[in-house]
Amino acid sequence: MSQYKIIFTGPVGAGKTTAINSISDLPPIKTDASASDMTKSRKASTTVAMDYGIMNLPGGEKLHLYGTPGQERFDFMWDILVNGGIGLVLLLDNTRADPFQDMKFFLDTFNTFITSTTVAIGVTQMDLSATPTIDDYHFQLNNLGLKPPVFAVDARVKSDVSLLIQSLLYTLDPGLEG
Amino acid sequence: MAMDKNKNPLKVALHGMDERSYKMMAMYLQGPCKGAAMVVNGQSAEVDIFDADSLTGQQLLKAHFDKKSPKPVIILSLNEQGLEQGLRVKKPVKTEDMLSAIAQARGLLGGKAVSSPHPASGTMAGREAAPIEAEKPILKSYVIETDEQKKTSKHEAAMQLNEKSFGAFIGNVAGVDVNDPKQFAKASYNPKDYFQGYVESAYKVSREKNQSRQLNSGWNPLLIFPDNSEVWLDVDESQLRAFAGLAINSTLGSKMSVTPLSQDMAHTDRDLERFQSMDAFLWKIACWASKGRYPASIDIRQPVYLKSWPNFTRLLVTPHALRIAALLVQEPRTLPNVAEVLGIKPQYVFVFISAACSLGLAAQVRREADVLVSPPEIKPNKNQGLLKRILSTLLGKKA
Repeated sequence: MSQYKIIFTGPVGAGKTTAINSISDLPPIKTDASASDMTKSRKASTTVAMDYGIMNLPGGEKLHLYGTPGQERFDFMWDILVNGGIGLVLLLDNTRADPFQDMKFFLDTFNTFITSTTVAIGVTQMDLSATPTIDDYHFQLNNLGLKPPVFAVDARVKSDVSLLIQSLLYTLDPGLEG
Repeated sequence: MAMDKNKNPLKVALHGMDERSYKMMAMYLQGPCKGAAMVVNGQSAEVDIFDADSLTGQQLLKAHFDKKSPKPVIILSLNEQGLEQGLRVKKPVKTEDMLSAIAQARGLLGGKAVSSPHPASGTMAGREAAPIEAEKPILKSYVIETDEQKKTSKHEAAMQLNEKSFGAFIGNVAGVDVNDPKQFAKASYNPKDYFQGYVESAYKVSREKNQSRQLNSGWNPLLIFPDNSEVWLDVDESQLRAFAGLAINSTLGSKMSVTPLSQDMAHTDRDLERFQSMDAFLWKIACWASKGRYPASIDIRQPVYLKSWPNFTRLLVTPHALRIAALLVQEPRTLPNVAEVLGIKPQYVFVFISAACSLGLAAQVRREADVLVSPPEIKPNKNQGLLKRILSTLLGKKA
């Protein structure tokens, strides 16, 4: 049976682990390292390898959900990870110093994969930092010749993550019927 | 309405923390510590907080004490060794310990802000310059607004309507079958005849003048805050829905006015749950005004285009809206063509276009080339079966 997967990527702290957790049928398998003592009260670990979750599909098939590690030092894994993927979910943290730089970095890194599939972008932490706005992201993407879905996302909220993935699927095929 | 936001947070600078710890600490001060302190850059800080256990922590502390800075210091550490100076908070940090240290630091300041001296020059400062530079956070400087997080309506997840709930929630127009191609000519509406038109006009003025405004309607006033792109209205959703769906007659229209909001009114404390984003509010009332019709400004024989995807997670999602967006963002099409290609009732296309036009996301094609060339047929994805199964699983999993 084929390995169907959706890849979640983005910088550290953008919510990849949480997003996978929101829609996975199994508790995600995490390969995390302990964070500093300070962070333990809020988040006990940070992902150093990858997150993994599963969505059980009708007919017994499984959709694998992979989260890339945030640290660039693991980028050698990304090519292996995207092999066979049906699309990319890029999560961006709006509180970071330069989310556009993050966006360009990940779009560049996954350029080949996105060209053959598609991408949907979720912007997290917009309740903490309202700028850049979603319109600002579209402006930047337009300059890159791209028109992907860009949604404000709370990675903890299943319907937000679900809508983002739905947009990914409809971009691949608007004729899909639910 | 009372707010528990701390009106006078202590300004603190964080040292010896990597990006993740820095951000976590900023959130911790704003959340569990209820905004007792807020993170600012070193120059404007009243108090310095150090992580003594980080790689550069001890080095930074020594440099700080050598400078004899008058600012109080809070030191986060697992042990007390070598920490004779400063206010120590033992790790893992407990909120009451942190609040106590903040209160003590505030006491040391005597309620006065401390102006930070410029970094000392000389050998010592020069030696320490590298690690201090290295620990410079790459986060942008922002103040976490707890009030913002309490604006639950503004940040709540989108409501998704299916075909069954559409009629009850959006409504229908009596006497016109908007889905009958022979009646398409009658299936339009003029937004200016509805609350939608007045809101659009008020938004325009408010944005152009960059001024908080109030839309008076003889009903509850709508307050518009262009700075934050939000509105405030103290009415129930069902009342708003009814009002937005009514054509505004000349009597009511004469009561409509837009006036500037006074400084006092603009800064009055309000029920935070009544704040909504300007876009989400306008999108919603456009759907209710439309009732499945299209805006009169659109010629349904000519293609329309979509500039970008709407921010669907924060907007009312009408039936098939994502499919329509996915199709129209690829290339311009006429509204009947969209309905035909997707195999859906035209009313779903019309209501989507009404909402998208209200936000300026959709418009009529003006280029002749786009009109002359008929849009291509859509090809099913080679994995369509799989994509359908994923979609049906997601739709069955809605929160």
